[in-house]
Amino acid sequence: MTTKTMRVVGHSLPRFDAPGKVTGTAVYAADFALPGMLVGKIFRSTEPHARVVAIDVARARAIPGVRAVITAADVPDVRYGGGIKDETVFATDKVRYVGQPVAAVAAVTPEAAEAALASIDVVYDPLPAVLDLDAALAPGASLLHEEWRSYTAIPIFHRDGNVCNRARIVVGDVERGFAEADRIFEHRFRTGMVHQGYTEPRAAVAQWDSSGTVTVWSNTQLPFEVQNTLAEILAIPPSKIRVVVPGIGGGFGGKLRVGVEHVAAFLAKKAGRPVKVLTTSDEELTAAYPRQGTVVELKTGVTKDGRITAKSGRIWFDTGAFAGSGPGVASVATLVLAGPYRIPNLHLEGVAVYTNKTNCGSYRAPSGPQANFAVESQMDVIAEALGLDPLEFRLRNIVREGDEGPTGQVLQAVGLEECLRKAAAAIVWDDRRPGPGRGKGLACGWWTTTGGSSGVYVKINPDGTVALNTGAAEIGTAALTGAAQVLAEELTVDLGDIGVVSADTFSTPFDFGAQGSRTAFAVGNACRAAVTDLKYRIFALAAAQLGVEPAACALADKHVVADGKRISLADLARLSQQTGGGLIAQGTFIAAPTAYDAKRVDGHAYPAFHSPSFHAHAVDLSVDPETGDVTIHRYVVAQDVGFAMNPKAIEGQIEGGVAQGLGQALSEEIVYEGGRVVNANLTDYKMPTTLDVPRVETILVEHPSLVGPYGAKGVGEPPNIEPPATVANAIAAATGLRVSVLPITAEKIALGLRDPGAAVSDSG
Amino acid sequence: MSKMALSLTINGERHDIITEPHRTLLEVLRGDLGLTGTKENCLEAECGVCTVLLDGRAVNSCILFAAQCQGRAVTTIEGLARNGTLDPLQQAFIDHGAVQCGYCIPGMILSAKAFLKEYPDADEGQVREALAGNLCRCTGYQKIADAVLAAARPPAHR
Amino acid sequence: MSFEYHEPTSLAEAVALGARFGVDGRFLGGGTDLLIQMRRGKVAPRHVVSLHRVPGLDAIEQNGGIRLGALVTHAAIERCVAFRGGLRALVEGAEVVGGHQIRNVGTVGGNIVNASPAADVVPVLLALDAVVTCVGVDGERLIPLERFLVGPGQSARRPGDLVTAVSFDTPTARTATAFLKAGRRRAMEISVACVAARLTLDAAGERCLDARIALGAVAPTTWRARDAERALEGRAPTPAVFREAGRAAAEGCRPITDVRASAGYRRLLVETLVSRALARCVERLREGAR
Repeated sequence: MTTKTMRVVGHSLPRFDAPGKVTGTAVYAADFALPGMLVGKIFRSTEPHARVVAIDVARARAIPGVRAVITAADVPDVRYGGGIKDETVFATDKVRYVGQPVAAVAAVTPEAAEAALASIDVVYDPLPAVLDLDAALAPGASLLHEEWRSYTAIPIFHRDGNVCNRARIVVGDVERGFAEADRIFEHRFRTGMVHQGYTEPRAAVAQWDSSGTVTVWSNTQLPFEVQNTLAEILAIPPSKIRVVVPGIGGGFGGKLRVGVEHVAAFLAKKAGRPVKVLTTSDEELTAAYPRQGTVVELKTGVTKDGRITAKSGRIWFDTGAFAGSGPGVASVATLVLAGPYRIPNLHLEGVAVYTNKTNCGSYRAPSGPQANFAVESQMDVIAEALGLDPLEFRLRNIVREGDEGPTGQVLQAVGLEECLRKAAAAIVWDDRRPGPGRGKGLACGWWTTTGGSSGVYVKINPDGTVALNTGAAEIGTAALTGAAQVLAEELTVDLGDIGVVSADTFSTPFDFGAQGSRTAFAVGNACRAAVTDLKYRIFALAAAQLGVEPAACALADKHVVADGKRISLADLARLSQQTGGGLIAQGTFIAAPTAYDAKRVDGHAYPAFHSPSFHAHAVDLSVDPETGDVTIHRYVVAQDVGFAMNPKAIEGQIEGGVAQGLGQALSEEIVYEGGRVVNANLTDYKMPTTLDVPRVETILVEHPSLVGPYGAKGVGEPPNIEPPATVANAIAAATGLRVSVLPITAEKIALGLRDPGAAVSDSG
Repeated sequence: MSKMALSLTINGERHDIITEPHRTLLEVLRGDLGLTGTKENCLEAECGVCTVLLDGRAVNSCILFAAQCQGRAVTTIEGLARNGTLDPLQQAFIDHGAVQCGYCIPGMILSAKAFLKEYPDADEGQVREALAGNLCRCTGYQKIADAVLAAARPPAHR
Repeated sequence: MSFEYHEPTSLAEAVALGARFGVDGRFLGGGTDLLIQMRRGKVAPRHVVSLHRVPGLDAIEQNGGIRLGALVTHAAIERCVAFRGGLRALVEGAEVVGGHQIRNVGTVGGNIVNASPAADVVPVLLALDAVVTCVGVDGERLIPLERFLVGPGQSARRPGDLVTAVSFDTPTARTATAFLKAGRRRAMEISVACVAARLTLDAAGERCLDARIALGAVAPTTWRARDAERALEGRAPTPAVFREAGRAAAEGCRPITDVRASAGYRRLLVETLVSRALARCVERLREGAR
């Protein structure tokens, strides 16, 4: 990590895509349109679990203006999916959740499309519905996937009937660890299903050309993965599919995988015209990829002076009708359940379970808020029982530089203590209960910077501007601005000199996708690799022009300087274009795998946190004892970001992540009754407004990553993790009431204060 | 379904269209007039991405029939910048890092624009109250509030 | 959603069109409820009669009493200087209806006709003993608001009749009003429970002379808590008495359990909000007296 002053990185420069967004000229997938485009809509199951006896689309096909009506009979018989290939485009013999696609229509007007949907007749023969985790796991439970054994799946997954994975971490001997403990604490927690809440619906426009190639404009976060999935589903080679991302209005993990792209492609093929499919709010809240609801059981043993000796636990993910991200998320969860603590004996399991609900997916730090809510709530209960300050209890157990993580990885750049101490100081932790009904809480955690590969092309234009060509999609985090800052820094140009082209599977290099807080990290590193290559060419050309040795050359202020002479990058680029094909280079980056102890894990898709970040949140709030309303006075986040590439952009990520986290903590839940969502609209799915989110004070801590660009770590997901536990701990401090179910609504608090039922069980 | 002739004034320009009575202002703006700066999402006046100004007041264009807007002045985000110069609000949003994915931003800026015209001396609480009908999922609203306050009180005037 | 659109330019024309179309027609004020219901398929009128070119329907008139034209928007109520004193609750109710975008368009007449049991301004009007003016081809009817609200989403408006105004007397000198709302978030919320209170004290400020307590979202219609009102008559305006009134209101109302809240929590909120709203009335009277 160099100490020289940075010109571009480390500065809060305005993001390069802001002007288009504030003028309304930036085009999002939901805005994208082609001449002659048809409106596509999806016909969805109204049964949670049923055999499909008959589908009749004849009436729909006859409606004027309707150009295509398709069902499973019209598409290849393919099963696709991430870890487990259990999904079909349309329901075949069975429907497995209310909202599952059964058919689709394309028509000239929205009204004709709606009329077509209303004219499709389906006969269902209802089956016993598996409505929750208990029902799914009960002996003799109705199987969602009778042929689960025949599905192609990642071999390490442990699958059994309605369980689509069981991931495990085992370290030491928990029974011996519990025997060594002076006190043992057992608790159970529950968290609800929540939606990413992006303000732009999922959208896709598909168009086939005469060579049998389909182009799909979509707001997917993973254009290359969608390209591959479409190839499987359409049964054509990936080279016949082009996925382009014009712009994304928020993703947060909900727009990773195919949502409507496949339907648009099939409809466009059948109709012979481009087709646009856009989801509605109702469809988003019933048939998207929300965050799984969970049940967590946690048992922790401690000595009387507050040292953790053992922890065992299990987290069940209600992952819905198809596995989706469930198996992988169940794996990640075990690392969150361990927490950033030194625990010699661990037995932690993550279990993903099928139920007759929408198939859940990934949402900003998948498994993070749920597992962290359990871990950090229990830490406070234990601290109180031992008569210890919750901060002090954590400081006695947190990991330090060079420690082993739960799966044996060596932890480096561990900024956790600094985060905890700074967050506590900022909230004035010494005064934890400033008044009646008022209390402070804190929580901490750790998270990964996902690996995967990223490639870029970099070209210097004859006017000295620079073109950055990346396969990554900008989902709003300003990650591409960060990567461009890295590029500008390395080339000694300004951020304003960089133009970015992104996310086109035909013309941009492969990128693993905008997920797992990896984009600025990986694309930034790819840019550095590209500059290394580019410098070779630049210096060779400059050396010839200036009559110096390449080794004497250096970049400074948009020029090559050597032995007191200089030549501009613009001149070199112009020269190169005339004589040598231009100054272009390619750079790739793939994160080296993090070493871990394979003997400790089983069924595990994510056995280590790469270049981990550490964070602590603290809150000061009051509770109205009669109504249960929570008023947040101050909220503080201290996050170890490694190196702050763009402090203002990172603050924005933290402020937004906390807002989403508070929504999960206090008001959001997709509510199912009898297998149907009862609040599938934004009136009753309560996301925070301007008046519900406090100002967030951010403290950026820097323990530089050994592998990130300038030491940067992933920053986007972490702020979503700690809010539920932070708030629950403060509410307990303020009222004495421990709520172990999310969301912690005013109703739960008010009723709980009047009758504190067994919200938490304690066998200490 | 019989169509009607409508004359709409959008950003000072007159547009004559022929369309069904049930078409909303949002559908006409995005579909017929290609003005996609105004966004669509919930279509039930819960999220605010469709906000435009009607005679200077912020409204949800998803629940207004285009027919209701005849004889009234509609302002969309495309009408804010003048001769290529950004409105101070637009510039403030850029400067304060208030833009992330950007999908809520056109509606947010227009809500703020209408509010500041009437209440130029608003404090943060009042600004937040004015923007309560515009959901943002990316920013947590903080830098948006900062940007609006900065636009209301530019340094030169302090 | 296909219909014919009409824009009458006089009250007589609007009333005639209403009578002609009957159940097949709906009047369009701001449309904030109507459009959403049409989009959800709950109503499908063949004729939509827009009122925005009918003069005089958006006036706020004060002479003796207050007359709000049916097209008065919630924003106009918020801005009305005359409502800052004893009629504060009207502003408090209006300013929490949706967000600014809804308030700029949504009308008080539309809100009354929509007859949602969870409406915010309606409880305040009920607490003010408001009367609805309803016009048909056979002339004008004055219907007390309490009788106008018949059931959830149902009013006493005959198909084709036009609500043109809602009126109430100006409160007496020693009267204050207050409105409180409980919800799951601080804005853009349909009340989980709301309370409008109107309280008149004697000259010495030591006895409650007259009270109105109207509740929203805890009964099939906006609802007068008469037992609670009676519990206050002649009593001292103390927290204990207000608490008693709150309990009476909580016992008398008929809340349901739905995805927004349980019936038990709603009763709890009523007890608290009634007592707080009454306390706020007393605070306002004391402030006014200084």
